[in-house]
Amino acid sequence: MSLAIELKSITKRFGSFVANEDVSLAVERGRIHAIIGENGAGKTTLMNVLFGLLQPDEGEIFIDGEKKVLPNPAAAIAAGIGMVHQHFKLVPSLTVAENVFLGMEIRKGGLIDHKAQIARTAELSQKFGLRVDPGERVGLLSVGIEQRIEILKVLARGARTIILDEPTAVLTPQESRELFQTLRGFVAQGMTVLFISHHLEEVMEVSDTVTVLRHGKEVATRPTAELTKADLVQMMVGRAVSFDRRPRGPVTGKPVLEVSDLWARDERGLQALKGVSFQVRAGEIVGIAGVAGNGQTELAEVLSGLRPASHGTIMLAGQAIQNRSARAIRHAGVAHVPGDRLVRGVDRGASVAQNILMGRQDQSPWSRFGVIDRTYLNEQTKRLISRFDIRTRSPETPVKSLSGGNIQKVVLAREFSGDAGFLLVDQPTRGVDIGATEAIHSEIMRQREAGKAILLISVQLDELIALADRILVMFAGRIMGDLPGEGVSEEAIGLLMAGVESAPAEVA
Amino acid sequence: MEVLERLFNAALIVAMLRTTAPILLVALGGSFTTKAGIFNIGLEGQMLLGAFFAVIGTIVSGSPWIGVLCGVAAALVLAYIFALLVVTFRANEVVVGLALNILASGMTISLMKAIFGTRGSIFGHGLVGLPIIRLPFAKDLGWFGQIISGYTPLVYVAFLAVPVLIIFYKRSRLGLYIRVVGEKPEAAEALGISIARIRYTASLICGVLAGLAGAHLSLGYTTMFTENMSSGRGFMAVAILIFSNGDPLKLLAGCLLFGFSDALSLRMQTTLGVSSYIILAVPYLVALAALFALSYRSRPRLIQETLATMGRALSVKPNGASGS
Repeated sequence: MSLAIELKSITKRFGSFVANEDVSLAVERGRIHAIIGENGAGKTTLMNVLFGLLQPDEGEIFIDGEKKVLPNPAAAIAAGIGMVHQHFKLVPSLTVAENVFLGMEIRKGGLIDHKAQIARTAELSQKFGLRVDPGERVGLLSVGIEQRIEILKVLARGARTIILDEPTAVLTPQESRELFQTLRGFVAQGMTVLFISHHLEEVMEVSDTVTVLRHGKEVATRPTAELTKADLVQMMVGRAVSFDRRPRGPVTGKPVLEVSDLWARDERGLQALKGVSFQVRAGEIVGIAGVAGNGQTELAEVLSGLRPASHGTIMLAGQAIQNRSARAIRHAGVAHVPGDRLVRGVDRGASVAQNILMGRQDQSPWSRFGVIDRTYLNEQTKRLISRFDIRTRSPETPVKSLSGGNIQKVVLAREFSGDAGFLLVDQPTRGVDIGATEAIHSEIMRQREAGKAILLISVQLDELIALADRILVMFAGRIMGDLPGEGVSEEAIGLLMAGVESAPAEVA
Repeated sequence: MEVLERLFNAALIVAMLRTTAPILLVALGGSFTTKAGIFNIGLEGQMLLGAFFAVIGTIVSGSPWIGVLCGVAAALVLAYIFALLVVTFRANEVVVGLALNILASGMTISLMKAIFGTRGSIFGHGLVGLPIIRLPFAKDLGWFGQIISGYTPLVYVAFLAVPVLIIFYKRSRLGLYIRVVGEKPEAAEALGISIARIRYTASLICGVLAGLAGAHLSLGYTTMFTENMSSGRGFMAVAILIFSNGDPLKLLAGCLLFGFSDALSLRMQTTLGVSSYIILAVPYLVALAALFALSYRSRPRLIQETLATMGRALSVKPNGASGS
């Protein structure tokens, strides 16, 4: 087997921070090679070195057996390497073909030959099984198709080795599956794929070989078939991490939240919730499972006051809170960890301390007579930073410079440090790495022990199975079933998620 | 009916095309900067400076063509300064644009005073305008010939530039890159397209057209220079650019609307005897109404969401006792 890529002893420093230390990587041609590691393990740095975006301080790069120096991406592209970044760089008002050929337009008589570009794009799309309509405007397309266009861009530039940086982070499960199929098609045609991920299932499913990075160093490179998920976790985190069901005592608390016959409409005015009823008791974690788009988002928004209910009641400790403002609902004792932390969870430009303060800036002891008590805020922020293990340089650091897991910890620190009796927790570990996920799970369990009533909405079944006392499965705006968390199987939940009615659903 | 006939006839269309031309030229110039993602509020100043130096150039050389070149050169200098400050030094576009407008206004007035010893306007001094072009075949076309013939050359340039620009944006590489730089600079950067170079190019092309617009004002539309003779056309162009997003066709429509109401107001003044003060406001009122109508439909999501939220807040009982 010949090597498509060989990196020898690459070291890359940023100031005193070592992003890659003596990393070697050998990638065989015609393979899907996954590179995994936690956030900050140096995966992206290593790939940027290979793509000519960064210059290594030490080490050598060999492409197809030839030693290369890659001063810029153009040199990497010339050497047959293409990279699909995590954030797409497409122009919405241009067509698919125009985007694919942007920067290398096909011209005839000085003018751009749109017909030829469309034909070439169609040809590439055909050859590599990336279905697109070359004449369509990119602005109207889904993220999955945008990614196909990014891949086509790389292919149009003659790449034989394709680097994909966290390609599935933005995709639906179906789109991910299609992507994997495409990648297998690539290697069948003799191309090589480098796949950066921190998603274990994916790596197990799609890759032939896997390299694990931890703290900038290479831990292991092995054939994927020889490894189990647990091995990968152990290598990534450096210790054994368990996502088994957390041990717990029985639920004995009184009902805190009582939702009965709740109806609401979605953005398009269609019924998203169709008579949802359930209870959450003190010291209980109730999980909401379901394929995204079956009313979970709307449920969270109605409960937090961000969307009106058209019918039904929400009682919090005996007080009706439906259709009150988000602020009034918070005051009544609801803490909300939003599903999209960057949109509703934090102000990205503000500091950690400001984000911790947000929402209670007008309450004593955080402020007095309209003036924020900076000493108190600073003390509290420092306390929460250490209590929630938020990795930040200081309380004044802008939140946007933290990793996803740490941003989520900032949100949890704020929401869990109030005196709310009911915690609405939506997708707490989306895009969060394994170490942080474990910490977040422990924190949610700690809140349960403290007697909080918790509604946990998640698309990750293993998360629900690990944490929830009961799991409600939503389908098309209704609760399809109420399953005990203890001893439940993913298959049982999956059937209900698909809308298959089991035995008469018991709805509490 | 008789009044309407006196108001609406071929001569009105001729008048409309005449009044449209200067604003169309400057707006087409602004199309380049708009597409490149620069909010160019300095059009007014570039146009005014172009008008002034076109007159100076003509008086000095005796040729209006050299005058046009001088006007374009002057506008280019201003466009270059604009690009230098906005693109290279990343200064605020609005501040720089306004400052350059004020500079152009003050500079023309003081130069006028220094050179001619007068304020107000320059005419005479051997000033000649651009020749009128009569299309030889127009005679045989009846009223249509009447409409298309008999303008100064820059009127033709303005209207012919519209299809040229449509092709430019659609089919030329530079046109494509200007659009990409304006719409998604990070995409341009990723592909090795220099954002600064494209923005300079767009600003300078804009300067050429704004200079032509100015030269047309002082050598084609009239044969004189008057203080602040651009009289808000540059700002009007900015308004049209905002709602047309720089698209040549939409931009033409906006300019024609302005030209039409301008021509109509002149007509009403002579035909109906309506007070000139009211009449002078007509084109601006029409433009405002059009802007509002257009932006209301395509109002940004933020405004839509705000209105939706307000509507919701008002429809829900404040004490929260609704629902059941």
